[in-house]
Amino acid sequence: MARQRKNQKSLIKDLAAQRIDRLFELAHEEFRQNPQRSDRYVLLARLIGMRYRIRLPTTLKRMMCKHCRSYLVPGSSSRVRLRGKYITVTCLRCNKQMRYPYKSISKVEEDNPA
Amino acid sequence: MDITPSNLIYNELIGLTTRVIDSTNPSLINIRGKVVDETRNTLTVETDGAREIVVPKMGTIFVFQIPTRSAGGHEVKHVKVNGTLLLSQPENRIKNIKKNNMR
Repeated sequence: MARQRKNQKSLIKDLAAQRIDRLFELAHEEFRQNPQRSDRYVLLARLIGMRYRIRLPTTLKRMMCKHCRSYLVPGSSSRVRLRGKYITVTCLRCNKQMRYPYKSISKVEEDNPA
Repeated sequence: MDITPSNLIYNELIGLTTRVIDSTNPSLINIRGKVVDETRNTLTVETDGAREIVVPKMGTIFVFQIPTRSAGGHEVKHVKVNGTLLLSQPENRIKNIKKNNMR
């Protein structure tokens, strides 16, 4: 019984992770024509992650505005600048900034595996 | 793990192609298109004419096309789903695995 419950839990988490990936793919596909849909998909992905306690992988987390949760595409919905010790990403919708230190994404992922 | 008929009702419906084959509202029957949004009680379907139609899940029977990866290239499977099974918030739907397996 206990094992069954454990298996079920991993199955649920697995499904949730796949859905998050799929939603980000869809957000990417829809961005050109319906950017408001991308925002909606990214929000849904975040809700799934919160509900089933799955961290969004760092690469995906950086595609989302930390403040207004909109989908970010460098050049069209965000501005990326290198500044001294960190990278600033400006969301062009809410005009707020996110700052990330210079640390390769692979290293960030080593520190906190998804 | 791909989308299979058995896990379709827990999986992501956005992005799938669907068709309404039965509904308590006759004007919704035969709507065909891509699912673009989902709420607790409705699915939004975008038809070929780029019209967005909000279809309630309750009292509707959908046929979803799910892509399958087979040796002979791309094929699609058609799965008939009673909309009442999909009634819940999109992020809560996975949880229903627990409920349904316990019974």
